[in-house]
Formats: sequence, C-alpha cells, structure tokens
Amino acid sequence: MIKIFQSEFFKLRKKLRTWLGPLLIMVLVLIAFPLSIDISQYDLNRFYFSIIVVALLMISFLSTEGIFLEDYEDGSLEQVYLVEQDFYKFVLAKVLTFVLLIGVPMAGIGSVFSILNGISINEVPKIFFMMFLSNLLLFNLFAFGSSLSINKGAILGVLATLPLALPIIILLGRGVRTIQHGIGFEGVMALMVGSGLLVASITPLIISATLKTHLE
Amino acid sequence: MFSSFVHRFSSPKSYVEITRKFFPYISLFGFLLLLIGWIWGLAFAPEDAVQGNSYRIIYLHVPASIFAQLVYFFMSICALIHLVWRVKLAAYLIKSAALVGAMITFIALFSGSIWGIPTWGTWWQWDARITSTLILFIMYLGIITLHGSFSNLEKADRLMSILVVVGVVNIPIIKKSVDWWSTLHQSASITISDGTSIDPSMLYPLLISIFGMGLTLISLGILSSKFYILTREKNKKWVQSYV
Repeated sequence: MIKIFQSEFFKLRKKLRTWLGPLLIMVLVLIAFPLSIDISQYDLNRFYFSIIVVALLMISFLSTEGIFLEDYEDGSLEQVYLVEQDFYKFVLAKVLTFVLLIGVPMAGIGSVFSILNGISINEVPKIFFMMFLSNLLLFNLFAFGSSLSINKGAILGVLATLPLALPIIILLGRGVRTIQHGIGFEGVMALMVGSGLLVASITPLIISATLKTHLE
Repeated sequence: MFSSFVHRFSSPKSYVEITRKFFPYISLFGFLLLLIGWIWGLAFAPEDAVQGNSYRIIYLHVPASIFAQLVYFFMSICALIHLVWRVKLAAYLIKSAALVGAMITFIALFSGSIWGIPTWGTWWQWDARITSTLILFIMYLGIITLHGSFSNLEKADRLMSILVVVGVVNIPIIKKSVDWWSTLHQSASITISDGTSIDPSMLYPLLISIFGMGLTLISLGILSSKFYILTREKNKKWVQSYV
C-alpha cells in the first residue's frame, strides 16, 4: 500500500499542471473577488468565507475531473486492475495523493485568506482542520463522480455527484458560524470527522467497483 | 430463498405480463382516489384559520413531496437488487422511475413555490428543506443524463445503480432537514410517533390524495417501464409476439 502511495505521489508531483494549476486558480479567485466588488459598500468580512467555501468546492471539482483519465487512456489502470488483487488500495492511494498534494494546500490557502478577512489567528487551526476534512470528503466524492463517466468525459459524472457535495458545504458553513460565535464547534467537528472517516473508508471500494465496470 | 424469489419474478417478460393484468385497476382506482381527494380537499374541506384557502395546495404539494422521496427510495432498493443479483428488470425500473421521480419532484418544488407566496411572501427561500429537495431534483436529472450518455446499456445500468445507491444518503438529509436546521419550512404534521396535528376534516382528503397520488404514480411508472422494456428488449422473440 505504501509503495503504491509513494509511486502515485511521485507521479502526481511530476505533473505540475495537475496540482499547481488548481491551487493557482484558487488564489486567483480569492484575490479577484474583492477586486470585482466595491468594498466600500459591502462588509466583505461577513461573506468572504462563503467565497472561500465555493472556491474549495469548484477547485476540488476541477482538480479531480481527470483523476483516473490518464491511467485509463494509457492502459495502466487496466494493468493495475489485472495485477493488483486489492484494486481499492490503488484507488485509496490515488485519492489520498490528491488530497495531500492539492487538498491540504487548498486548506492552507483558505486559512490564510480567512485571516486576511477577519478570522482571529487563534482560530486558524480550527479553520484549517475543517477545510481539510471538507476537502477529504469532496475529493472522495468527486473522484467517485469522475470514475462514473471516465470514458465519456469525467465532467458528466462529477456533475452528477455535485448535488451530494452540497450537504458538505452546508456543514462547512455551519462550522464557520460556530467558530465565529464561539459555541458548538466540537459537535460540528465530530460530525465532520465521523463522515470523513466513513467516506474515506467506503468510497475507494465504491470507486473501484465503478472502475471495474468500465474495465470488464 | 429471497434470491430465488427475485429471480423467479424478475424476468422482463413476466413483469410485462403481470402488470398488464393489474394496470387498468391500479390506474383507474388511483385516478378516482386522486379525484375524490382533490374535490373533497378543494371544495368541501373547511378553510384554514390562519392560512385561509391557500393551504388547499397541500392536497397536491404534500403527496408530491412524499413521493419525490419515496420514488428515490424505491430506486435505491432496485439499484441494490441490480448490483447484488444482476437483475436486469431492476435497472429498467430505475431508469423508468427516475423520469417519474424527476416529474413529481418538480411538481413538489413548483407547488411549494406557489404556496410560498401567500405564506412566506416569497417564491423561493434558500431553506434547508427546499434546497435539499432541489438537490434531489438535480440528482434525478443527473441519473437520467448519466444513463443516457453510454451506448453500452449494460454498463450504463450498473453505473446508474451505483450512483443511485450512493445518492440515497440525500434522503435522510431531506427528511430530517426541518429538524436539523433552523428553517422556514414547517416540520411534519403527520408522524408515526406523535400522530397528527391536522383536523380530521382536512386530514381525510389529504390521506386519500396521498393514496391516489401513489397509485397514479405507480401506474405512470408501469407505463414508462413497459415502454422502456419493450424498447430495450425489442430484439427478443417475446417482444415481437407481444407487439
């Protein structure tokens, strides 16, 4: 498992455009938004976090679109399927690699921009952890979506799973409100950790079943 | 035992034959019940003390909302049967039910919107129940689109079933959204544990509408699935002799 993870990590690290591109887009969106509105008229601090949340959603959506596509097209996915007995380990490694190389920096960028827009520095670990968990959930979900329509343009499958991401967004928004009000954070966090663990352990199995359907 | 039961009654041919016998009764009975429920509710049920006559839309909105979720639940059971026992008929039923589900969810959203004007003063509110029902509607459309995008229909059936099973997580969220989030939408007026808070003069036509709507949707589902089965199995001998 660790070997597969290392090789996937190495492969993704080499593809600068795949992991750096989404991060740059996120930074760009978060910078461009305040510039595009008249900040003298709006209290940006009140709704800036919503922009971060939507950016997280869209960037995780974009970055997972081609998560299995290249492996599928060059035949390496089929090869892994034939060689690897536990195909889900490969899927788990692939998704975790994306979470580590794209999801974690995204959570970092989101946290930095939260500080710039009024969140206290003491609250940053909470914000970071919450965004990391959201990314874990979103990456798993969109990886599943991508696997659904891998040979028909992954965007279709990802779009089909997009509605399922909305409860995650609602939960994330609620988490931020609990941080701002200083009450109830632990409850939301427990719910997110629970869902994160459940999704991260079940989704690779579902994705591998979906990919097998394409490969058989 | 269940497995043999499933396989025995799961051939598209026997489904078409069985539904052929029951379809006229189900559709007629459903239509009559719906008609009675609506006429009773719209013309004879008393006016509501707070909402006046605008509440009468419940005779359309409540049954539509209930079945918007129930149709998805039915699809998820079919999806499980298709994935576990590879029963073709289950996939055909999912595809047909998705169309009915999308239609009834749209009716639920639209009638809720109309009801929103006199009660909340707005057509739309980004409220937990309404938003989660909208998500359900988009899920139905996603399932239909995903299935339609594959030329290999067996593969499309399997992928659609997987998506339906995963999407079932949305159903408890919709159901409990009015309890979990602070929301404009009222919580359920009829519950198993607490009974009902609706006066019997308004409740009976509502229950009749719910049953009528259920049977009407079943007959619509039967029609849609029969059409789909005959299209999918058009090269089989039994279809040629049936048509």
